[in-house]
Order: sequence, then structure tokens, then C-alpha cells
Amino acid sequence: MKKEKRVMAISIGISCFALALVMSMQFKVVRETDITSIQSMRESELRSELSQWKSKYDEIDEKYQEVSGKISEYQSKKESDNENSSLLEKEQEQINLALGKDDVQGEGIVITLNNVDDVEPKINAEDLLVIVNQLKNAGAEAISINDERIINMSDVVNINLEEGEFFVKVNGQRKLAPYIIKAIGNQAYLEGAILGNGGRADDLQTIGHEVSIQKDRKVEITKYNGEITTKYIQ
Amino acid sequence: MNKKVVSIILGIMCFLLTYGIAIQIKTVNNSNSTISTNAEENNLRSEVLKYKEKYDNRYLELEKAEKTLEKEREKITKNNAELTSLEENIKNGNKILGLSEVTGPGIIVRLQDNQSKNITGIFDLSKLIVHDLDVLSVVNELKNAGAEAISVNEQRIVPTTSITCDGNVVKINGEKVGTPFEIKAIGLPEQLAALSRQGGYLSILEDDRVETDLKKSNSITIPKYSGVIDFKYAKKK
Repeated sequence: MKKEKRVMAISIGISCFALALVMSMQFKVVRETDITSIQSMRESELRSELSQWKSKYDEIDEKYQEVSGKISEYQSKKESDNENSSLLEKEQEQINLALGKDDVQGEGIVITLNNVDDVEPKINAEDLLVIVNQLKNAGAEAISINDERIINMSDVVNINLEEGEFFVKVNGQRKLAPYIIKAIGNQAYLEGAILGNGGRADDLQTIGHEVSIQKDRKVEITKYNGEITTKYIQ
Repeated sequence: MNKKVVSIILGIMCFLLTYGIAIQIKTVNNSNSTISTNAEENNLRSEVLKYKEKYDNRYLELEKAEKTLEKEREKITKNNAELTSLEENIKNGNKILGLSEVTGPGIIVRLQDNQSKNITGIFDLSKLIVHDLDVLSVVNELKNAGAEAISVNEQRIVPTTSITCDGNVVKINGEKVGTPFEIKAIGLPEQLAALSRQGGYLSILEDDRVETDLKKSNSITIPKYSGVIDFKYAKKK
């Protein structure tokens, strides 16, 4: 009798333990899965979510490999300052390229926008700003408006004159129509972004302005002319 | 006596377990009544989670590697003035590009969809909402006022950043962000605050009854870009 009791107590204890373990596992799973977003997604959404995370992962993995490579290069070459200097210069070049400090070339498109006399409203800074934004969204790597390179802190604004007249300033430089926007990147994506549904170039064409797009295997974009200086960021 | 204690303990245990199970059932019920048991979808779901986790891990590793790289760079440039200036250039360039965190004086702007429920005399309800174009325009005006670094809801503005809309959310750097928008900018605070001048973009938004707020600050921290700037088409000439 006594033995039976003990067996029972032990088996109850074990089953309680197992239950508690399963429960804690479940709690963990529930917390990790982020129920609200992923569980409620349908197949097509899940597919696009998956491809998004895949490409994000690939991108960051590539960057990681690059940084790791640099580290081992820095660690291995220690004999001369010259070698170190060339490593640093290589890094500097990459940064300058992204900053817009170099003339660049590559496949892309050239967009020409021109006002048509009777058509209102005229092409303005917002149109140019939106087109630049749509080009960036389509993966443009370098953009210029009338040879003014768009850099990280570039602005495009209207300067209003009397009687509703205005002109456009890019990087503080006065720019007049026709506006020639050059962009380097995948030609089909770039063209689709501004001429497709909701594309601003398409809108301008619809209201009657002159819009032409030329695909080019070798678009050349000049570097930013000014000095890029900073005073406040640390 | 012994029996009583055992049964009380067992009772408490049973109660706790039942309670736990009840909570769980409730959670699962609440979370989604349309959970699909479709195997294909479940498969995809676990794939998504797997990649998310892989990404998170890689991201942490990358952060660590970047710190190591910086240290290595410092190590070899320590005793050479020429190399030190090169290293400074690289550091500075990364700050301008948005590849490292920066701090400095500036302003914080908040834009929020109109929250009040009874509005009369408005014809265009979409004006009450902050759109992608509003955010893009405010960022553009801040650049015009000399901002040196900008972020929107912690998404750093880098040269390749686009601000677009995707259904009813705004997408910046491919990430979804929503109202309220908190736009941080580093630069001369007085100059950046001109955003709220008469006829400036904030006053236009206020006329549309979007809720806005602008604060100056002596120390603002703007995070770095969490993605990668990598050129595949543009080559140096």
C-alpha cells in the first residue's frame, strides 16, 4: 500500500513537471512568433515578407563579409605604412563614391522635362523632388538635375518671384527649364518608377508638359561641385 | 496529516496548471481566429522567422565587426599623422553618409494625424492625415535650412533613402513607419526652427489641421542607417 502511494506521487510529480515544461515552451514560442503580424498573414503576403527578409539578410551578410575581409587585411599587413595607407585609401574611395564626390558612370536613364507654354501649373520644385524620390525608391545610385549632383543633404526648392513667377534652386543653385535629370541604376526599374502608375513624370505628361526619357548604357553624372562640410554633427 | 498536505499541494498544482492552460487557450483564441492550418503557409511562416532570426544575428555580428574594424584602423594609424588624417576622413564621411550615429544640437518635429473625432466643415478628410509627401517636404525644408543629419522615426536619411507610401503606411528605407512622425534634425537650431515660420511647411500642415510640434534641443542623437549603401551600377569614372 505504501509503495503504491509513493509510485503514484512520483508519477504525478513527473507528469506535472512535463506539463509545466510544455507550457513554458509554448509561452516562449508564442512570444517569439509575433502573433499579430505573421500568424495573420496570407500566403502571398508571407511570400513577399520572406523574400524581403531574404534580401535583407543577403545584403547584410555581404556587408559583413566585406567588413570581416577588411579587418583581416588590416590585421595581416603590418610591415609598412604604405600598405596600410593604400587600405585606408580604398575605404576612403568607397565613401567618396557614395558621398557624390566622384564623377560616375553606368547604365541608367536621362529624363528631359520641359514646360509647355499654355500648360499650368508649371513644372516646380515639388515635381523634381518627387521624381528624385521615386528614382531613389527604384534603386537609383546617382542622380543629377541639370548637372547638379544630388547628395545626401541636397534640397530642391521654389524661389517665388512676383505675380506667381518662380524659379527652382537645387543645392542653392538656380536651375531653369528644361530640366534634365540623369539617374544611374536599373533602367527598367527607373523608367517604371516615374512613368508607371503614380509616376510623377507620367502625371506631368498627362497634363500636357513635354517629357522624354532616354535609356543609356553609359550615363555620366558629374560630381558634387561644392565642399561638403559639417559643423554640428559629432 | 501527511495525506492532507499532499492533497493540498496537488490541488494547488492542478489549479495553477489549469489556470495556465486557460490563459493560453484564451491568448491563442484572441490572437487569431483565422489561423490557417495550411501546411504551406505554416512552412512559409517558419521560413520567415528563420530568416528574421538569421538577419538579427548577422546584424549583431556586423555591429561587432564594425567596431573591431574601427579599432584596427586606429591601431595602425596611431603613430602616423598622414594616416590619422585619412582615418579621420573615413570617420567623418561615415557620419555624413549616415553610416554612424551622430549627436549635436538641432530640432525635433512631431507630425501627427488629427486625433479629434468630431470635425466639422472639412471637405477633404485626407488632409487630416500626414502623407508621404508631407514627410518628404519637411525633410527637404530641413535640408534647405542646413540640416547635417536627419532621421524620421529613427530611420536615418541616407543618400539612397526614399519616402513613399504603401497602402496606409509610409515607407522609409523600406521600413514601415506610421503616425506620429518624429523627425530629428541636427544643425543650427534657430535656422532649422524656421520650418515653423509663416508660410513654411509646418504652417501649411497646421492649416490642414495636422497636429504639429517643434522643439529645439542642445543634444539630439540620430541613429545610424541599419542597411547597406552599395553601388552595383555606378562606377567611378
